[in-house]
Amino acid sequence: MTAFKKLTLTEPELVLALQSKDPAVLKTLYGMYSSALYGVISRIITHTELAEDVLQETFVKIWQSAAHYDHTKGRLFTWMMNIARNLSIDKLRSKDFKNSLKNQDIENNVSFVDEQNKVTFNPDVLGVKQLVDNLKPDLQAVLDLVYYKGFTHVEAAEKLDLPLGTVKTRIRLAIIELRRSFN
Amino acid sequence: MSVENLKAYIESGVLELYVLGDLSPEEILRVEEIASQYPGVMDEIAAIEQALEQYAMQNAVQPSADIETRLLEKLGLNEVDEHVSVQPEPIYTEEAKIIRLNGSDAKVRTLRYALVACIALLVVSTAALFITYNKLNAAHDQIASLSLDKQKFAGVVSKLEFENQGLGNMAAMADSKEWATIRMAGQAFSPTSKMKVYWNKKDKSVLINYVAMDLPKTDAEHEYQLWALVNGKPISLGVFGKADSIHNEALVKMQAIQEAQAFAVTLEPMGGSVNPTMDKLTVMGGV
Repeated sequence: MTAFKKLTLTEPELVLALQSKDPAVLKTLYGMYSSALYGVISRIITHTELAEDVLQETFVKIWQSAAHYDHTKGRLFTWMMNIARNLSIDKLRSKDFKNSLKNQDIENNVSFVDEQNKVTFNPDVLGVKQLVDNLKPDLQAVLDLVYYKGFTHVEAAEKLDLPLGTVKTRIRLAIIELRRSFN
Repeated sequence: MSVENLKAYIESGVLELYVLGDLSPEEILRVEEIASQYPGVMDEIAAIEQALEQYAMQNAVQPSADIETRLLEKLGLNEVDEHVSVQPEPIYTEEAKIIRLNGSDAKVRTLRYALVACIALLVVSTAALFITYNKLNAAHDQIASLSLDKQKFAGVVSKLEFENQGLGNMAAMADSKEWATIRMAGQAFSPTSKMKVYWNKKDKSVLINYVAMDLPKTDAEHEYQLWALVNGKPISLGVFGKADSIHNEALVKMQAIQEAQAFAVTLEPMGGSVNPTMDKLTVMGGV
């Protein structure tokens, strides 16, 4: 069972183990993906404790609803990432989060609120790597807003004051750049 | 869907939004329906997914190390890992337990022996104490009876001493030429009484001897008074009580008298009288 530990499995193997509730697979899954998922969670929720709570909740949900994952509809990571993002957004809108915001001292609160309400979006603030040299910052800004900030494309369009179609196009172009650079 | 339409569909950016989870449930169903029909759409989705997955990997952030432990704990999965890696340990702990059990067994046995020994000691001690107590009581009784005996003997001894002194004195008086012995005989008041009084011819001192008297017992209010008759006049020589071997010497020195024709004893109230009560004349004897 512990043979899985610290090993990287192929996705079908992972899915099989996860859906058969093999306890050892959770460690493997965590080892492989926790930091990638936390990369998204921690950018949506800047409060470390809450972000870590969400990461934990994410894996609990992955474990508990593994049976609902359908590999014909997409990759396991996409499914897990959407769980992480949805839980993060839920947390952001929850009473829990608002309370924790109230509990922060004024200085933190001001900068936090300020960050939340920024009109112009700077990926550097998120610590997200530049995609590729020739990718325009405009493209990455839209993608990161949706991917790393939990914005819907509608919200991103409002925030950036862009037409919905432009936002969609920019997301697509950014991802195409990604595909090109990774290939 | 025509090839052109398919291309336009892919280029609309809806697949990216699908992967980003940014579509309504209806839109999601629509994408999945089309993807299941057109492998090109499926491939496109897979490519977008892989790109975003790699992008996420590149921007990974390491969470705190304890999150995993907390997670496994929360899901109750941490025993699984322990079960495997700590596999040899149960044997050790079992062995240790056996040793510990042996140790405590021996300890229990020792304690049991100690308890039995304690109880035995208690029983023996109680018995010994009981016996000692009885012996002590017997000793007390013995001491009491011995002390009573001793008192009795002491009484006897003191009486004997008293009598011996008196008798010794009587013998000495009889032999002595210095002392005159005056025998007083019982009078009408007490005919059976008799008494001796000793009168020193030299210094004229007068002695009476309790051993050498036989007078009726006096009551608490009366005592005897010795008189010397000098030329028909009674002169008091002092009072004396009844013979008391405990408080008195056998011999009592009375007042000296230069000359006397007779001695007499009367029964008088305590402290004596100035003149003798003649009807209570007990004994009398001439010199």
